[in-house]
Amino acid sequence: MLSSIAEKTYWLSRYIERIENTSRLINVNSDLLLDIPHDESNDLKHLIKITGHFDDFKKSNSKENVFFFLIEDEKNPSSIKYSIEMAKMNSRYLLTMLPKSAWEQFNNLYSDFNNAAVKRNSEDLYQIIRNSQRFFAIISDGMQRNDVFNFIKLGRFIERADMLSRIIEDQILRKETHVNKYYQNLQWSSVLRSINGYESFKTINKENLNQEVVLGFMIMEKLFPRSLKYCVDKLIEVQKFLPQSTNIKKITKSLLKNLEKNNVYKYDKKILKHLDNFQFGLIKLDKEINERFFSY
Amino acid sequence: MNNKTKENKLFDEYLNNKQLPRQGFGNAFNYFSKLTPTKKRFLTKTRDSIIRSMGVTFRVYDNNKLIDRDWPLDLMPRIIKEKEWIEVKDGLIQRIKAVNLFIHDVYHKQEFLNKNPVLKSLILESPNYLKECSGIIPKNKIWANISGTDLIRDHRGNFFVLEDNLRVPSGVAYMLENRNVMKKVVTDLFNKYQVSPVDDYTSQLYTCLSNASYSKEKNKTIVILSPGVFNSAYFEHAYLAQQMGVDLVESSDLFLSKDNYVCLKTINGQKKVDVIYRRVNDNFLDPEVWEKDSVLGVPGIIKSWKEKKIAIVNAPGSGVADDKAVYAFVPKMIEFFLGEKSKLKQVKTYLCAFEKDKQYVLENISKLVLKPVNESGGYGILIGPNSTKKELSQYKLKIQSNPRNFVAQPLIKLSTTPTLIKTSIQPRHIDLRPFILSGNKTFVTNGGLTRVALKKGSTIVNSSQGGGSKDTWIVN
Repeated sequence: MLSSIAEKTYWLSRYIERIENTSRLINVNSDLLLDIPHDESNDLKHLIKITGHFDDFKKSNSKENVFFFLIEDEKNPSSIKYSIEMAKMNSRYLLTMLPKSAWEQFNNLYSDFNNAAVKRNSEDLYQIIRNSQRFFAIISDGMQRNDVFNFIKLGRFIERADMLSRIIEDQILRKETHVNKYYQNLQWSSVLRSINGYESFKTINKENLNQEVVLGFMIMEKLFPRSLKYCVDKLIEVQKFLPQSTNIKKITKSLLKNLEKNNVYKYDKKILKHLDNFQFGLIKLDKEINERFFSY
Repeated sequence: MNNKTKENKLFDEYLNNKQLPRQGFGNAFNYFSKLTPTKKRFLTKTRDSIIRSMGVTFRVYDNNKLIDRDWPLDLMPRIIKEKEWIEVKDGLIQRIKAVNLFIHDVYHKQEFLNKNPVLKSLILESPNYLKECSGIIPKNKIWANISGTDLIRDHRGNFFVLEDNLRVPSGVAYMLENRNVMKKVVTDLFNKYQVSPVDDYTSQLYTCLSNASYSKEKNKTIVILSPGVFNSAYFEHAYLAQQMGVDLVESSDLFLSKDNYVCLKTINGQKKVDVIYRRVNDNFLDPEVWEKDSVLGVPGIIKSWKEKKIAIVNAPGSGVADDKAVYAFVPKMIEFFLGEKSKLKQVKTYLCAFEKDKQYVLENISKLVLKPVNESGGYGILIGPNSTKKELSQYKLKIQSNPRNFVAQPLIKLSTTPTLIKTSIQPRHIDLRPFILSGNKTFVTNGGLTRVALKKGSTIVNSSQGGGSKDTWIVN
């Protein structure tokens, strides 16, 4: 497989995963706004913290401004619009590499987003989520397990782990600003929804919904596809099918170790420190993939 | 009355001068003329959705913005009888053989040039003549492995060669996709004719590329080098790569190894390339030799080529025979190199480089078609009879300031064929681009890409300028 094609595949996958995650994050949080008393609601600015580029957001933090910045602002590298354009750019090179139906599905995602008159209502965001899910469904269900597939998987789970760890981090930092424990738990349940995990969580933990159990689920639940553990397992798995790299192996192993050590869910500071290291590990992994496969 | 006589001078491929279908064309003509407007709209809608879902597009720049347009295909096929086509095919094979021998001669002994001193001086000044290619021997001495020759029919229905495209001719993917779309939309019309298939082109192309390789290895590494996703023919580059199962690459995928082999960057490390089917123009191929700022080429590739470590298709320098001035000499070439008379007719061409021709052209400009020598895509052309006095006199100045740059031809009344315009059937002008592959054997496509000028009365068939296309049927 050409290095350049591998790189474009990897990024296409990361961007589509990012599009889905960001859309869900916005949707869930705008629902939550309706539940929380306005003085408690703080604002939606923390979403910008999660997705990055907080410093570029210069406007007042009205819902409208925040949503525009996160969804439509072409100049914001963490906006959905930006990700969609980047995905489009990468996809141009993959015309002959993706299954035809996946290619068509991506074009649907692209045109549905750009043709939507209003992009900020929940149905529009839900459409983006569905379109991204369909794209990955076609890949998982019907694509030959070749190198293109492997790089899609690689990109997808790195991106997912990255977003997950940011969401957890944000929630822990944010709860300090909230006094009322009741609303804290409400927030944790919305965090679960934002990773599409509320129902799965409930099948395992019927009674409790608090930080400790939610974190246990989000970090270590190996059977849930949006836990950190699941992501890292997939990153280890996909390496069997890619050309050998001892460095990549080493980094993923250390990610796994990091998760295993991050098992005391009461102490916020410790959790944050582990998450920091985890994110640093992901950055190292991305860099190593780049050096090993794309631009040696 | 006046109008009618004028019309009679045109040759319509479907209809005779009594406006009745010619023999063999009745089935196709009636098929379309009997359709109700609703059914016509239904068929065009079906066609559009198939083209969209197959993703057959071409790329244009509109106000500096890149736009992918759906490929325009007219549903009424262009029909040519097999008996007629066989003669054309023989003529094309003869022509490309002579042209290849000519290119080889230009870069070696120059025997033909020495016999034609005016041509020699034109060639040696031509930007398409690349002195760096002197002495190189491509495999089988074939320089232009892939060519697309533009043919037209005149008011009597005779085929003429209009232009040889020997650099990076495009359009073949559209020829192939046109057939695929037609099979789905007018399926029942295929039952009325025995239409020669076209879809073995890509396997013939693979063989042709493989034949060009210097390497003795059995499994050759062949790649298509594209200028990139923003190129207007990118769809075709990707299509051909996929159909042949080879990698589509850009310059950044390639590099020269220390021992001057051209290599690919892959996730498993470097991989030696045997044949490059390049869709990048000569002067961008190697920044060490030609355009220094080119980012579309591979530094050192010409060195590798000279050492026979890589085959480049078409060979750099082939464009020397693509020149519209050289065109005028092709019948002479055929006699010189093959000892035969040209089987195909071609259009009388005046070279303004000849003083006598220039005088004739300046005096008769209103009757002629003027073409710059080194342009393609229909750019810079002046059609005398359709131009204003001011346009003519401006063009005259251009000719006088650089006569070498212009050729002129009498205006040929291109044949027409009925075409679906919304829900009516109207005659439109067409041409034809068959593709010829030269390797161990020479292969000509069954038919080719028919291009049609969709604007009433227009003869500009280029898709970038409002042209469309038709599926070409060679029928028994």
